[in-house]
Amino acid sequence: MFELESTDVQGLVVTSYSNLPCATYLLLQVTDPVGARSWLSQHLREITVSVKSDAQFATNLAFTSTGLRRLGLSEKVVSTFSRPFQEGIATEHRQRVLGDQDENDPTKWMWGNDKKQVDALLLIFAADENVLKSQVQFRHQELAASGFAEVVVLSAGRNPDSHEHFGFSDGIGQPVMEGTGNKQRQFARTNHATELPAGEFLMGFTNVYGVTADSPVVAAADDPNKNLPDVPGDTTGLHGQSGMRDLGRNGTYLVFRHLAQNVSKFWNFVDFATHNSNDPSAADRLAAKFVGRWKSGAPLVLSPKDDNDTLASENNFAYLDKDPHGFKCPIGSHIRRSNPRDALGPDAPTALASANRHRILRRGRSYGDRAKDPRVNDGQDRGLIFICLNSDIERQFEFVQQTWINNPVFGGLDGEVDPLVGNIPKGDSIFTVQGEPLRTRVHGLSRFVTVKGGAYFFLPSMRALKYLASLGSSGPKEV
Amino acid sequence: MTHTVLTFISKVKPDKVKELAAWLQQIQDRPANNAIVPFGNLKTLHFASFVLHEPAKAAEKEKYGSRLVFENNFDGSLDPYLDDLCDKVGPGLHRIYLQCQDYPVADASDREGLKAYLKRCVVKPNAYHIGNTGRAAPRISDEQTFRDALELRADELVIAGKPSSASELFNALRNFADTTPPLSQLKDPGPRQSFYEHYWPWLSLVVQGLIAIAFIVLLFPLVIILALVLFYKEKTDSVKSGAADDENIRKLVASEDHTTSVQNHMASITIVKDGWLRRRTLWLVLWAVNLLARANATHGQLSGIPSIHFAHWSMIDGGQRLLFLSNFDGSWENYLDDFIDKAHTGLTAVWSNTVDFPRTQYLINGGATDGPRFKAVARDSQTVTNAWYSAYRDLTVQGIDNNSSIREELRAPQTDAQSWLHRL
Repeated sequence: MFELESTDVQGLVVTSYSNLPCATYLLLQVTDPVGARSWLSQHLREITVSVKSDAQFATNLAFTSTGLRRLGLSEKVVSTFSRPFQEGIATEHRQRVLGDQDENDPTKWMWGNDKKQVDALLLIFAADENVLKSQVQFRHQELAASGFAEVVVLSAGRNPDSHEHFGFSDGIGQPVMEGTGNKQRQFARTNHATELPAGEFLMGFTNVYGVTADSPVVAAADDPNKNLPDVPGDTTGLHGQSGMRDLGRNGTYLVFRHLAQNVSKFWNFVDFATHNSNDPSAADRLAAKFVGRWKSGAPLVLSPKDDNDTLASENNFAYLDKDPHGFKCPIGSHIRRSNPRDALGPDAPTALASANRHRILRRGRSYGDRAKDPRVNDGQDRGLIFICLNSDIERQFEFVQQTWINNPVFGGLDGEVDPLVGNIPKGDSIFTVQGEPLRTRVHGLSRFVTVKGGAYFFLPSMRALKYLASLGSSGPKEV
Repeated sequence: MTHTVLTFISKVKPDKVKELAAWLQQIQDRPANNAIVPFGNLKTLHFASFVLHEPAKAAEKEKYGSRLVFENNFDGSLDPYLDDLCDKVGPGLHRIYLQCQDYPVADASDREGLKAYLKRCVVKPNAYHIGNTGRAAPRISDEQTFRDALELRADELVIAGKPSSASELFNALRNFADTTPPLSQLKDPGPRQSFYEHYWPWLSLVVQGLIAIAFIVLLFPLVIILALVLFYKEKTDSVKSGAADDENIRKLVASEDHTTSVQNHMASITIVKDGWLRRRTLWLVLWAVNLLARANATHGQLSGIPSIHFAHWSMIDGGQRLLFLSNFDGSWENYLDDFIDKAHTGLTAVWSNTVDFPRTQYLINGGATDGPRFKAVARDSQTVTNAWYSAYRDLTVQGIDNNSSIREELRAPQTDAQSWLHRL
């Protein structure tokens, strides 16, 4: 039975801090390794762990592979991290996997590309604007004096509700990690909870295959102060061997994507696509078909005709039995692509088990102010800070992105991608609304969401942070 | 309609490996219409690949040298295809095989010499799978054209809002297909398989299966002893420790996911475990896989995997190595996950006879169910595909099947209009 080592695991793993509605993400470069390590060791105790707290703010910290190298972690150790993390989010092959092409091309990003590389991410959450402001200012001065430079500061202010900028309730469906007590909470909120083994979201623990999730390791000689736990002798990941120390245990990978949403373009397109209809709610209906839920969050599978507030946070449904052909919730809709549940067959248990090998914990937030009139281009920047946690980036985040979201033949479709966040190609892009007697194809989709930046981070355990802070002091030599 | 699935395997001259790789890269850059082997000129060809394999380990390099594997999946039988190859891409093949040992032809115009050489190099797979049974390459392309035109017509009918009943829509689309060129001009391709093509594999499955059972009964004590030896050996066989070689993966992914994730190719060469028993076991497993695949896997799926166009398993070098080639839909991760989730038994039974495979029990248990370790072994055994051609890069096995059904059912007397419309 898995027991959460709550004082070693950073808080973001178990909570999205919904009690702290304001957030700022400081994307940093390490300019002086000695200063950065000393800052880390001095402020280690200020990092929020997975223990329930009434604090007015929370702070979490993550590093990219370049950041780990700059802190002084040897190449030998960096090479035991997973390949996507080592290489970073912006490689030629990964562009094809993630759909980061054309407007989404990393060369056009605000940050996260060669020109604005990021080493570290400090996440600050706060109960209100004032607390956030003082926290950010305080960190801002402190970091600048301690060997960090700010690359970009992204803020996700308070939102009036849990709806994203297109107007749809977000963050309803989430898997939960065992041992966190989140199962009961999720069940109470959404009538459904998919509990997954800890190893899906924490390295060094048993994953969905019943084997230990791969975890980066350090030779015992390189950890003379015994900051890190031993690799357990009987159950090792691919890199672990008994006698080594586990750098990844209680840590995870954090995927960060800065996504801009063009709200007026989206709603103007939906209006245009429905301009022949006499139904005044036709635009909302088509947009709901894109999403797979109504604006309230009510799932189309359960409420195919109209929005229904009483189902706003309902998540207890599946596709294979109720809607195999997509007449209620289109096969290519955003929620059906991002978690197909049992839809892909051949039978419900097999399909569910397969789908559950590719789940992520979402920890993102909207940024920018809500548009006053979603049909008017007010020139404001708004969108989503997409953050997700997973122990295997290839099998979880990248798989969702490649095999579900951007797959032109997903579920038997013929040449279309996710209408909201997909890598919508130039030319005549379509979206199919299945129906009887005949499906309708919406033509002329374009990109409503653009990638502005991104990075793969390692969200270390507290012990791993302590180890990183100790680099260069004794034992491991500086590179 | 039947297909042929085979490879031509040659030994490459050690000092010509680099040069050959450069030739193959030119083919890879424009597989259909490059200047060397323009695969697009071969109208009966579905998929082809060139794999230039150089073992990474010195001992294996010494023993096996570098090989050129030329994979071909085509319509009909070998002889007419060889004629087509020699006529359409003969000179280019001549230039490629000049880099190989034992290639006796000196003159590019010696068509018969090339043909005879290729015939000598043929390696027929021990087992193979075909996703779209009975569909010739031109038919597959025609049927996509057919479907695209119907979809556009259906869009017009949706906008017009009339007719609005399923049977009237069906009739309107059938009428459109009957009267509008080029749809109306496409020839009826006939059934996917003839009576003989359909039932012969079943007959052969039953007959060979009975013979096998008779052998097992007759030699029962021996079979038990051999099984016990095998079950003992699998407890002590060495398994892969550690992660996959990231450098090798970086080379592999450079050529993956270029067809907007619709299709990919995979080539793998593994070393069969030492000893007569393992070689014989592998041979038997492949024999059984092939019997079942021929008879039962004729509806687009191999053991629940819906995404394989053509796959071959060939025991090469006198059974010392296993060559696997696959042309599949979707990402590598998805393909491997399908194997792990849906076909791990068969997969384990095959590859557990090769070195490094994760720990198994009773030949078919364990093994591939250790997903991460299995993927690491699979990546390490995988070798770069130097050039790869697909006659229909944007189509999936399931899409091709659906296209065929759209066309077949449009003409069939008993078609339910609403079910047919679901196919669009």
